[in-house]
Amino acid sequence: MKQEMSDPVMAFDGNELWTIHYRVFRYKRSSGKPHYDKFNVEIAPHETVLDGLEKIWAFQDRSLTFRHACHHASCGSCGIRVNGVEKLPCIVPIREVTRDGGTVLCEPLRNFPLVSDLVVDLGQFYRRLEEAHFQIIRSSEPIERDEHESSNVHTRFENCIECGLCVSACPVSGTDGLYFGPAALAASWRMIQEPRGVDPLSVRSNADQEHGCWRCHVAFECSEVCPSNVDPAAAIMALRQDLLKRKLLRLFQRGDHDRA
Amino acid sequence: MAEKAVQSHHVVVIGAGSTGVAVAHDLALRGFAVTVVERGAIASGTTGRNHCLLHSGARYCMSDPVSAQECAQENDVLRSIMPHAMELNGGLFVALTEEHRAYKSRFQEACQTCGIDAPWLTPEQVLALEPHVHPDNLGAFHVPDGVFDPLRFCLSFLATARRNGADVFPFTRVDELIQRGSAVEGVKVSDLHTNRVRRIEADLVVNAAGPWAGEISAMAGLMLPMDPTPGVMVSMRGRYCQRVINRLGMPSDGDIVVPQRETSILGTTSWSVPRADTIPIPEEHVALLLERGRALIPALAESEPQGIFTVARPLIHEMVKDTRQVSRGFECFDHAAEGVQGLVTIVGGKTSTSRAMAETTADLVCSKLGIQAPCRTRETRLESYRAFYYT
Amino acid sequence: MTEHEERRVRKTLAWLDMAGRKAGTWAFLLNRLTGLGLLLYLLLHLGVLSLLAMGEMQWDAFIALARSPLFLVLDVVLIFGILYHGLNGIRVALVGMGIGVRWQKGIFWTLMGLGVLLLAITGWLVFTM
Ligand SMILES: Cc1cc2nc3c(=O)[nH]c(=O)nc-3n(C[C@H](O)[C@H](O)[C@H](O)COP(=O)(O)OP(=O)(O)OC[C@H]3O[C@@H](n4cnc5c(N)ncnc54)[C@H](O)[C@@H]3O)c2cc1C
Ligand code: SF4
Ligand code: FES
Repeated sequence: MKQEMSDPVMAFDGNELWTIHYRVFRYKRSSGKPHYDKFNVEIAPHETVLDGLEKIWAFQDRSLTFRHACHHASCGSCGIRVNGVEKLPCIVPIREVTRDGGTVLCEPLRNFPLVSDLVVDLGQFYRRLEEAHFQIIRSSEPIERDEHESSNVHTRFENCIECGLCVSACPVSGTDGLYFGPAALAASWRMIQEPRGVDPLSVRSNADQEHGCWRCHVAFECSEVCPSNVDPAAAIMALRQDLLKRKLLRLFQRGDHDRA
Repeated sequence: MAEKAVQSHHVVVIGAGSTGVAVAHDLALRGFAVTVVERGAIASGTTGRNHCLLHSGARYCMSDPVSAQECAQENDVLRSIMPHAMELNGGLFVALTEEHRAYKSRFQEACQTCGIDAPWLTPEQVLALEPHVHPDNLGAFHVPDGVFDPLRFCLSFLATARRNGADVFPFTRVDELIQRGSAVEGVKVSDLHTNRVRRIEADLVVNAAGPWAGEISAMAGLMLPMDPTPGVMVSMRGRYCQRVINRLGMPSDGDIVVPQRETSILGTTSWSVPRADTIPIPEEHVALLLERGRALIPALAESEPQGIFTVARPLIHEMVKDTRQVSRGFECFDHAAEGVQGLVTIVGGKTSTSRAMAETTADLVCSKLGIQAPCRTRETRLESYRAFYYT
Repeated sequence: MTEHEERRVRKTLAWLDMAGRKAGTWAFLLNRLTGLGLLLYLLLHLGVLSLLAMGEMQWDAFIALARSPLFLVLDVVLIFGILYHGLNGIRVALVGMGIGVRWQKGIFWTLMGLGVLLLAITGWLVFTM
């Protein structure tokens, strides 16, 4: 097999180093007001925004707090706002958000209680996913290619990496703290599509509430920022349609009087 | 001296990577009062950035049968205690060339010795299962490899430890060990949420700081020269296989493709660095991984990397290893041997064997504190990882 | 400010937090504002109608005012509000029932295009008639 070694996706730009000004949101509990700190970072353009934060932590300020683990968009822990927009900094190359000598603004996610610096409290968010009975192990669609595969079904992780970017981008989550939020509703829809032993009725009744799927105002910001192909907005709409159909059906059946 | 109840013994665990969290869980389950301190986020060290492979042991069956056997046993245990954080689809050891296929009988025997179930598949069977594997493959062994999510792996252990009374403090860095004479009696930490310093007293401190374990033991004046040995991984956009795809042969660079969620992770390489923080990634390693990955799965050529990352294996400097006469996947030191009471260090190993490492460590802790409490981690199902955040 | 009040203020300010957001939040914000505007208009309208009860003088004075150019501009603003709220409402209702989710962006911009057209026509009518 022939190898293409001059692959453009390699994304390395030789030994070029850029100087980037990081403006980082800072807050420490019980020690002063939130503010922004500026750090100058030497970084290659193909390196990521998270690499830069790690450099700041390693060489300039060991008290900077930020969450990260997998560095490849799989664990969902690194979510912040980069230049105002919700992103996973572990997969955003520097050159995608600025140029040599430019500034990168890093702020914590919105609509979550702030803990310190770039760290927010995900407790409520995770509780809602649990309340949706969301199990992240699903059975996958077989990889398309030939006919053998119909029997070849496997387990895999759900697409949703529970990063919270959608909740931060959602204007309704901003004004209604009780709103379940896009991730939990998308999770409910997944559990209805593929129940994995969970009772879909309880998932439905959980979503069918004032602060559940009916609270959404169709801004679609969640799907704009979701890094993992979940399309939570579409899931919320599908959930509504499903609930609406059932409600209508029940209405007609009640008219018929013959079914309980 | 009257015997103290186990609950009144307080153990501090430094580091919330796979090793530290498993130790915390084991100790909490045995009844100890446990406090975990981690300077960063959970799994922000080596563990979070590893290759996510739940080893079946097959990878090491020819080179290191002891580790292989241990992996095989732990694989069974982890499947049953943490099914909610794993993709369990098996793995293939594929022969691409005659040279690879020459290992066939040796591999088969080695797997048998280590207790790993590994049936041989013909090229047609391989392609039926994994249509994207190289069409000219010469057959493969099927093994019980799996895939885990390292963050959720750690959170599950910690959530369970918490349920059993453990305190867990991320963003809490150990700056000093509290010592009386040479004996360690606790840790002095900085809480990075508040920038305040505080002391945590303990009957015993377990150093599970991975490649940074040397920094901790140095605080007690001990020499524990680490040899941080990083490996590069490239996460490709798109999933091209359901099973872990390995190249048949002795373990070497770029011989695994691990599918996870919507990605395929190529790995890995090995070299040596002076320090384990922010390791620069050599360009040629990435090129090598891409080349070797495409040899296994040609369709990867259509894809592009979405994340390139590296971390260091927490290995002990070879020279020290020899003098200490321990040759296992991991090493557990009682520093009393060097005159420092109250400090135990656990390094090396794998995420896949962290439960076993924890069992050994907790056994040592028990014997040091004169406690008799059996290990129960083999049969205790772990809590949902989410419980860590909301309890 | 108590913590509770502070949270109130933050939540209300979150209405206007547009940093990093795309058309969807603008659409939502505008929908809220036009909604409020229309509500206000409705109240004013009722007030004005009650002038009728006060007699012919007041009413004629009002009609004269209503013919002034400033008032005509306000009329166009009103029409904008009605068109925007109504047309975006069509999208929200459709998509909210699971219809046309995949094309929601297209639906939005098509409706907005239609809105601009209608606004231009009605605006022209307002000033020429
Ligand atoms: C490239 C590579 C690929 C690998 N792939 C696999 C695989 O596929 N499967 C597998 O099973 N294993 C794999 N491993 C092995 C496995 O990742 C490691 O053995 C394991 O993660 C080590 O865990 P640990 O808890 O000992 O170390 P770490 O995860 O590094 O944890 C140590 C923790 O201590 C913290 N710490 C350090 N200093 C302080 C301080 N002063 N105060 C408080 N906390 C501190 C650090 O922040 C860190 O979180 C791989 C390793 C590498 C390098
Ligand atoms: S739905 Fe998308 S954005 Fe929201 S938590 Fe899941 S992966 Fe993140
Ligand atoms: S570090 Fe895991 S998603 Fe970014």
